[in-house]
Amino acid sequence: MSPMNPSIAAKEPQAGIDLLRIVRINEEIKAVVGVAFKINIMALNAIFLAKRAGTAALGFGVLSNELRTFSQDLRSCMGALTVLIHRCVTEVSVVLQDIRKTRLLSEAVSLSALSKLNPVVVRRERENIEHQERLAALRRQLLRALDDAFQLVELGGVLAKSAKIEAAYGQSFAASLAQVSGEFDGVVEEIRNSLLALRHSEFFK
Amino acid sequence: MKKTNTIFQDGDHKWVAIVRDPDRPGHLVDTNEYLVTHGGQGMLLDPGGAEVFPAVFSALSGEFDPSALSAVFASHQDPDICSSLALWLEFNPGMRCYVSWLWESFIPHFGGTKETFVTIPDPGMDIFLGGLSLQAVPAHYLHSSGNFHLYDKQAKILFSGDVGAALLPAGQDALFVENFDTHIRYAEGFHKRWMGSNDAKRRWCERVASMEINLLCPQHGAIYQGSDVQRFINWFDELQVGVLGS
Ligand SMILES: [Fe+2]
Ligand SMILES: [Fe+2]
Repeated sequence: MSPMNPSIAAKEPQAGIDLLRIVRINEEIKAVVGVAFKINIMALNAIFLAKRAGTAALGFGVLSNELRTFSQDLRSCMGALTVLIHRCVTEVSVVLQDIRKTRLLSEAVSLSALSKLNPVVVRRERENIEHQERLAALRRQLLRALDDAFQLVELGGVLAKSAKIEAAYGQSFAASLAQVSGEFDGVVEEIRNSLLALRHSEFFK
Repeated sequence: MKKTNTIFQDGDHKWVAIVRDPDRPGHLVDTNEYLVTHGGQGMLLDPGGAEVFPAVFSALSGEFDPSALSAVFASHQDPDICSSLALWLEFNPGMRCYVSWLWESFIPHFGGTKETFVTIPDPGMDIFLGGLSLQAVPAHYLHSSGNFHLYDKQAKILFSGDVGAALLPAGQDALFVENFDTHIRYAEGFHKRWMGSNDAKRRWCERVASMEINLLCPQHGAIYQGSDVQRFINWFDELQVGVLGS
C-alpha cells in the first residue's frame, strides 16, 4: 500500500486528542453543573435563615435573594454549556470518521489509475473542510459561553463576599449567617477555579 | 495491491476474481472479491472490509469503472464482507446492495440509506444484471443465519461465501485448488467451527449437488474447479459441523 498522505496522517491523532480533551471538558462541566445545583439549595437555605433572623438580617436577606437569582442563572448557563459540549463531541467524532474515510478513499484513488483530483476525493475533502469549520465555530461558541459563565461566577463571588460582610450585622444570627455565606463563597470559588481551568484547556488553542 | 484474474469470459459476460494482497496487514483475514459484469453493468460480490478497500478498489478499477458498479451482493453481514460499503457508495451513491432481509437494519451501520438495500427473502430470488439472470441461493446458517450464495447458470459458477473457505498459510496463494486433499486440511477447522448447523449443511449439499457448477468460488482461499467441486460437496456433506475445539 502507498504511504498515507502526510497531512491526513497528522490530523488523525490530533482529532483523537481533541476528542479526549472535549470528553474531559464535558466531565468537568458535569461536575460544575452538580455544584451549581448545590448552590441553588444553599441560596434557598440562606433565604429561610434571613427570614428567621428578620430585621437583624435585612441586608443579608436582600443578598440571599440575589444569590438565588444568581444560582438560577448559573444553572441555565451550565445547561447552555452542556448543549454546546455535546455538539462539540459529536462534531469531533464526525471529523474522526471523515479522516478514516478520506485516508481509505485517497489511498484507493492513488493506487488506482484514477486522477488524484478525482471528484469523489475532492467532494470528500470539501465535506471535511465544512465539518472542520463547523467544529471551529462550535469551539469559539463554547469559549464565549465559558467566558459568560466566568463573568457570572465573578458576580456570584462579589455577592457571596458582600453576604459575608452583611452576616456580621446579624446579631444573634451572625454565626449561622457567616457559616452560610462562607460556604457560599467557597463553592463559588470552586466553580470559578474549574471554569478558569476549562478556559485554559488545550482544546481552545 | 490485489491481483485480478478473469476466471470466466463470454463476450462482455465476465467473472473477475480479486485476490491475494501481498501488502495486507497480517491481522486482517484475507478475502476474495468477485466482479461479475454483463451488458456494461457490474456487480461486486462480498466487497470486503473497509481496511482492504484501497487494495480492492484499485485492483477493480483496472478492470471496470468503479462508479459504474450498479450493485454489490453481500452474502451475509460480517465486517470482512461489507464494512467497506460506505466507501463504495461514495463513488456511486445510487448503487444497490443485495442482502438477506435479516440484515436490512444491521448493515446500514456500515453505510447506505434505506434506498441502498434490496432485501432477499429466505427462499432466495433472481437478481438481474445487464440482462443476465443470477440466482441468490439460500445458504442460511452457513455460517450466518441469513446467508445467500450467488449462482450464475450461464457461467456455471457458484459464489459460495464462507462455504469452501480455507485459511491458507503464507506462501500458499494459488488461485485454484491444486491438490484437494492437501487443501482441504486448511478448510476443515474453519468449517467445523464456523458452520453451525448439520441440517442446513445437508440441505445446501443436496441443493448444490443438483446444479451444474464448473467453479465454486469461496470468499477466502482457493477456487474449486471441475471435479474438485463435487469432491468438496461430498467432503462437506460428511463433515460434522458446529463443533467446538478440533
Ligand atoms: Fe462470515
Ligand atoms: Fe468471511
